[in-house]
Amino acid sequence: MSEHLPQTFYLDPELLQKLGDLELVAREVVEGLRVGSHRSPLRGFSTEFAHHRQYAPGDAIRDIDWRVYGRTDRYYTKLYEAETNFDCHILIDASASMTYGSGKVNKLEYAKFLAASLAYLVLKQRDSVGLSVFDSDVRAYMPPRSAMGIIVQIDRLLRDIIPAPKSTIAKQLHDIALMMKRRSFVILISDLLADVSDIMAGLDHLRFDGHNVVVLHTLDPYEIAFPFKGTWRFEGLEQELPLTTQPERIRDDYLASLGEYMAALRTGCMGVDIDYKVVDTSRPLDGVLTEFFAERATILNGAAVGARL
Amino acid sequence: MTFLNPWLLLGALGVSLPIIAHMLNRHQVRTTAWAAMRFLNRSVRVRSRQLRLRDILLLILRCLALLLLVLAFSRPTADKPGGAMASLGDYRAGVVIAIDASYSMLHSDGTATRFEKAIEKTGAITRGIPPGNPVTLLLLATDHRVVARNVAFDPDHFADILSNLTATSESLDLDSVPRRLKNLAAELKESRKEIYIITDMQEQDWKPRSAWLHASFKDLARNASTFIIPVGGGSENLAITSLELASGVLRKGTPASYRVTVRNSGDMAARNVKVNGLINNISVDVKIIPFIAPGTSETVLLSLSFRDPGPVRISAELDKDALEADNARRAVAVIRDHVSVLCVEGSSGPSNSSGELIATALRASGTGKTQEDLNVQTVSWVDLPAQDLKTFDVVALADVPDITAELARSLESYVRAGNGLIWFAGDYVKANVWNQRSALEGTPLLPAVLEESESTSDAMGIGRPLDPSLTDHPVCRPLFSLPEDLLSETRFRRLIRVTPSPTSATVLSLAGSDSPVLLEHSLGRGHVFMFTTSAGPAWNNMAVNPVFPMLLQQMVTYLTAREFETPRMVADTLSLSYVDQPDTTDAVFDTPSGETITVPVQEYRDQYVALLESAREPGFYLARVSLQATGMPIAVNVDTRESRVKCMTAEEAARTLQGTGARITPSDAGLSDGVDDIRAPRSFWRFFMLTGLAFFIIESLFAEWLSRKSSRQGRAGNERAEGGKS
Repeated sequence: MSEHLPQTFYLDPELLQKLGDLELVAREVVEGLRVGSHRSPLRGFSTEFAHHRQYAPGDAIRDIDWRVYGRTDRYYTKLYEAETNFDCHILIDASASMTYGSGKVNKLEYAKFLAASLAYLVLKQRDSVGLSVFDSDVRAYMPPRSAMGIIVQIDRLLRDIIPAPKSTIAKQLHDIALMMKRRSFVILISDLLADVSDIMAGLDHLRFDGHNVVVLHTLDPYEIAFPFKGTWRFEGLEQELPLTTQPERIRDDYLASLGEYMAALRTGCMGVDIDYKVVDTSRPLDGVLTEFFAERATILNGAAVGARL
Repeated sequence: MTFLNPWLLLGALGVSLPIIAHMLNRHQVRTTAWAAMRFLNRSVRVRSRQLRLRDILLLILRCLALLLLVLAFSRPTADKPGGAMASLGDYRAGVVIAIDASYSMLHSDGTATRFEKAIEKTGAITRGIPPGNPVTLLLLATDHRVVARNVAFDPDHFADILSNLTATSESLDLDSVPRRLKNLAAELKESRKEIYIITDMQEQDWKPRSAWLHASFKDLARNASTFIIPVGGGSENLAITSLELASGVLRKGTPASYRVTVRNSGDMAARNVKVNGLINNISVDVKIIPFIAPGTSETVLLSLSFRDPGPVRISAELDKDALEADNARRAVAVIRDHVSVLCVEGSSGPSNSSGELIATALRASGTGKTQEDLNVQTVSWVDLPAQDLKTFDVVALADVPDITAELARSLESYVRAGNGLIWFAGDYVKANVWNQRSALEGTPLLPAVLEESESTSDAMGIGRPLDPSLTDHPVCRPLFSLPEDLLSETRFRRLIRVTPSPTSATVLSLAGSDSPVLLEHSLGRGHVFMFTTSAGPAWNNMAVNPVFPMLLQQMVTYLTAREFETPRMVADTLSLSYVDQPDTTDAVFDTPSGETITVPVQEYRDQYVALLESAREPGFYLARVSLQATGMPIAVNVDTRESRVKCMTAEEAARTLQGTGARITPSDAGLSDGVDDIRAPRSFWRFFMLTGLAFFIIESLFAEWLSRKSSRQGRAGNERAEGGKS
């Protein structure tokens, strides 16, 4: 329990208790100016030994491992991995489509919980976290900070969001990418209800700038399963034409269309090394995060080996 | 178009149910905001429109099917022939065809008999009946015969049935026809019914009962379309209406006269009508009746002589005419070797006592010769118990004071066995004793209860004569030939008053009063005659008058005759009675056409009798106690009431049945038009039913196909969706 934290609306203490032992691990080693718990590809002054290298002229004498010299009569220099901090930037889609929810919590609410939880975790491991909110435009941009007090500002910012319709997502992502000064860990929380090509254009920009991107595709369980029965009139949240139909009879068509869309999205993300995760808003938040971090840890093990080369 | 069940059209309101359900479903639309509209766009919207179209199509199919079924159950019919719908409908009706098969239908106009014409008419009626419609075919006679009952109409099979039909020798029982037809029509399940009666409409049957006919056919026509199809023809016909013993004692070697009555029921006089008398199918006498006026009868006496004892077949025949069935009349006579009569004298008086007078009268002969074949024995009443009654054919009790109970039982058994008893009153008769002893358990021995004697003389002391209007009893027949003055000379001064029993018949009575002089009743197989006056001269002068011997001899002949001698009518029951329990269980009847019918012997009121339920043909049947036994012939004649073949005209028939709803269609064209007219209304229920069911099946198959198609698409969509999520 973090008793020193101020009381916020979105941070459920019980949830944070469950998340306390989790460690957010980036897929790639992120460069950082501050010493943190993340390994940096820049080996230097640190207490974390990496490996030995044969002494070469120009190396600092203090780095020679004399114990090895005593056993082998050769000069070896000790190399350490520098621990860095990283910037995590959370992008929240606050468009009108995110306000849909079949249960008590709509997608935007869920996204807020998710963002707050992630921000807390990042701050707890002494990294910096920033937040951007967009709909048809970028509504807010908060640069990454490592002070724990930022969580309060994030909470306030999230509360002040007023959803607005959007038609594209690439432009907003472009704008945010331009605002970010350093290579960051970017977490996009959105229902991604736009053209796949448009979405991928925005994500490509982020990857092009060297950001490590994670997409949390937030979908309501009714959007996933489409379990409506009877006759329903669907009124679009993004100013689409309404449709009156018997959903159970077009369910198959809907699911097929959804499946094709999600498959295209997944394929696109995999192509540019973006982690893509579907988040069902009916699932418990802690379960989703636990599952997400477990998956990332597995992937990181392989990637880290390569990084040391 | 009309509907047989119009109230079922209310069921059409049910058509609105799926529409209401559809509308309600459409109006119960729930609204939701929806984010993922992009997945409901394009193809999904098109698909939704397709589904709406399918729904509307299915709804239309369902409503049409329901509507058609409602129409089918309402039994729609087209009232007018032709029209666009006529080819879609079919005609369903239950048809009852009744053909008059009485023997008058065998009357021929020279080209065809009425029955043959009726068969032709039947063919015309059945030509328009669709195969499968229920049809009943009935032959009308005394006992109506159902040839085909509620069978599915098959033209070929029906033609076979018609070709094998023949008229009967029975008369027509018109009274039972309407009720029988109504019952048969009620058996037919079809709501539309047709009844056709093909008959010669004999005037004697139809004309006298116009009111009854009107009511009956009105009732019949209420239940079915009723047609009466007259097939009448000419009215000329000669018929022998009776052949009966006029005189003679029916003993071997004695002559007898048989009276033959010939009736001319036609409109023209008949001349030189030849009547042929036959014994055992051999012509023995021919008489010519020179003239028979239209509508009158003439009689002629055939002189027949019997050489041998035993049963003989006696026939009288006419030459061939338009209707042959009534040209012959038959009778059977049992010729006896001799007859024994026991005269029991109750009064012990002089020689002209009652017993002697009876014996003298019986022995009297026109030729004066002694009748050797007649044995008359006279005894005193006190000697009666000692007599062996079995040796006598007839017992005559004259003025016997009383009898014992034992003797009464003996006499009863004696009569029941087929013998005769003649009882005379007298001064010595003790009425109370006779009444007491005569009263047996069932039928009493005597045909009347005796009371006090009374004088029937006038102030001058002259008795009353017999009533000249003689009854038709066989014993009276000889008296018809007596001059009236001879009959009236017989005077009765005193009679014993009697109360006739219900089973008795008065044979002779006094003129000017109902007081019976002679009564008769049957007891078992025998008969008892009872004179309420004396045999002797004390109470009348009968003994000195020709009436007495004539009556007595005729009575003895009658009493010694056998039951087989009574002619039967076609459709009557023929019986063969046994004195004792027979050795065999079955009797045998040979029909005139040579068929042998075995009939079981039944016990009926302490008697054993074999009954042939209905004699189907005229002629001589032969009743035998067993196959090997010698038979006893039974004469069966047609009912000559049917021989009045004159028919009602179509106009008379139409007048008689006007307002009943029954149609008279004498002509082929009229019949054809009438049949077409009633069959013009065509039923569409089958068409609507089949079409409605077809719509239901199409709707079900369509819905099933759509469901399967959707399932296939759904599986494919799910697979793609699953692929997307993973």
